[in-house]
Amino acid sequence: MDANINGSILKVEGLTRYFGGLAAVKDVSFEVRRLQIFGIIGPNGAGKTTLFSMIAGALIPSEGKIVALGQETTGKPSHRLVKIGIARTHQIVRPFRALTVLENVQIGVYFGRKHTNNAATARDSALEVLRSVGIDNLAYQPASILSVGQQKRLEIARALATQPELLLCDEICGGLTHSETGAMLQLLRKIRDNGTTVMYVEHDVKAITSVCDRIMVLNYGRRLAEGTPEEIQRDPAVIEAYLGTRATGGKQ
Amino acid sequence: MTAAPAMENPRRAPKWITGALLVAGIILLVVLPLVIGSTNFVRLLFLTLLWVTTSIAWNLLGGFAGQVSFGFAVFYGVGAYTTALAINGKINPFLAFVMGAVAAAIISVLLGLPTFRLRGPYFAIATIGISEAVRVVMTNVGFTGGASGYRILEARPFEQFEHYFTALALAIIALVVSAKIADAKFGLGLKAIRQDEDAAADVGVNPFTNKLAVHAIAAALTGAAGGVFARYAAFIHPNGVFGFQTGVHILLMPVIGGIATVWGPVVGGFVFGIVEEEIVASFPQIHLLLYGSLLILIIMFEPGGILGGVREVIRRYRGRKH
Repeated sequence: MDANINGSILKVEGLTRYFGGLAAVKDVSFEVRRLQIFGIIGPNGAGKTTLFSMIAGALIPSEGKIVALGQETTGKPSHRLVKIGIARTHQIVRPFRALTVLENVQIGVYFGRKHTNNAATARDSALEVLRSVGIDNLAYQPASILSVGQQKRLEIARALATQPELLLCDEICGGLTHSETGAMLQLLRKIRDNGTTVMYVEHDVKAITSVCDRIMVLNYGRRLAEGTPEEIQRDPAVIEAYLGTRATGGKQ
Repeated sequence: MTAAPAMENPRRAPKWITGALLVAGIILLVVLPLVIGSTNFVRLLFLTLLWVTTSIAWNLLGGFAGQVSFGFAVFYGVGAYTTALAINGKINPFLAFVMGAVAAAIISVLLGLPTFRLRGPYFAIATIGISEAVRVVMTNVGFTGGASGYRILEARPFEQFEHYFTALALAIIALVVSAKIADAKFGLGLKAIRQDEDAAADVGVNPFTNKLAVHAIAAALTGAAGGVFARYAAFIHPNGVFGFQTGVHILLMPVIGGIATVWGPVVGGFVFGIVEEEIVASFPQIHLLLYGSLLILIIMFEPGGILGGVREVIRRYRGRKH
């Protein structure tokens, strides 16, 4: 592919976050290239959500630097990131329950990167986004009645409505059935193919290795490994982090 | 691409019904005082329209944006005193109302800058403190007469209908502003902030600036109402217009009528304005207790207020027919 197209979209340098004396994320650096699906995995407590929150503007880093879409975004609030072209989804869905599905998505169009004041434009773009994630039939239903799977799709629709260049997804397959997970991963590929880079945090190894172009593994807040899904699955350090070391006949 | 009409949002009443109700209401409010004409009746309706205005204004911030403020007496009082000072300074009363509105809006921004960093109950508590602090300051400020109040001396003769139609016009302006906001991008952003401030920010809504903006609009309408009241009363004092009770009344009306709707605060304002006279006259000692009890009952049994209750009844009635 053209080197220009596959330039860097997100560059994280030495990112660190302390909670009290504990470093939840320590000195993590990585780079996401355009039109990749970049996965971040790690065992529970590895610092995935902390790292994600800092990149998504929900948490201010203690140290380090984030550069996204050609500008420094370290510590910028999320509504500013949206205007730059970075949107996120939530691990635990947070729809605006009292609003309709369409209104939920319309807000994203209204206040997104290419923000508009035109109600008709906002409605049409919102319907189009709903169609692309497959819940346009629910447009006029209140968001509160949606099933978990549908709410996860609404999360993605709302983020996509802001027309991001970089989509940050936090454990979007949590709580989904096997077939729903498959459909969700298919949707992620479609989003990437339509020109949006995806950074995807997940602890489900199977889900992430099947969809990601590149994966970074976190453990105890540090970067443990990075590579293609095949490289990651073979990496002894990763296997050790997930499965532990081989027992040595009772001796320590 | 536009959706078929059958896909229209089914939860909302058709536009022509609300339009017809609005026109009928305005005609009634114009004709009734002229026909009945008794000074006392017009006074009651005048005060009620002012309450309707403040109720609509409070709902913009407290209903749509979900920021419960006990401090609207500050804007009512600032509007009242600014207008009073302006009229005594020989400024045209209608220009004086505008000055009252602008002064209240400016104050709202100054108060919003620190308080909108707080959330939920902490914001509400801060507004209580500010409201009381402003009242105490105003009772000690010399040039407005302190606690003994301030008198407005207007060269023109008192014309009750002029006051009444000013209040009616202001209430209509407030209603139009509220309806426009409810339908627009701004209103949708506010509703998002009410439900989940962080999620709203994650789709690009700046919670802080949007709250400041709606606070200023609400304050301007409340300040104008305070100004219209001041000119009518010709005498204002801090424990009245700046009274904590005033702030509670302004909050109570939209809650009674139905919060976060366009028509709820209007209904609440009318019910409160008309009933309050009676309650205060009949139960002067315990009328605040009655309000407190009413507030608890509404929150426990019908958080949607009167309008929510009516909608529920209609929904059940329709459900039985099918």
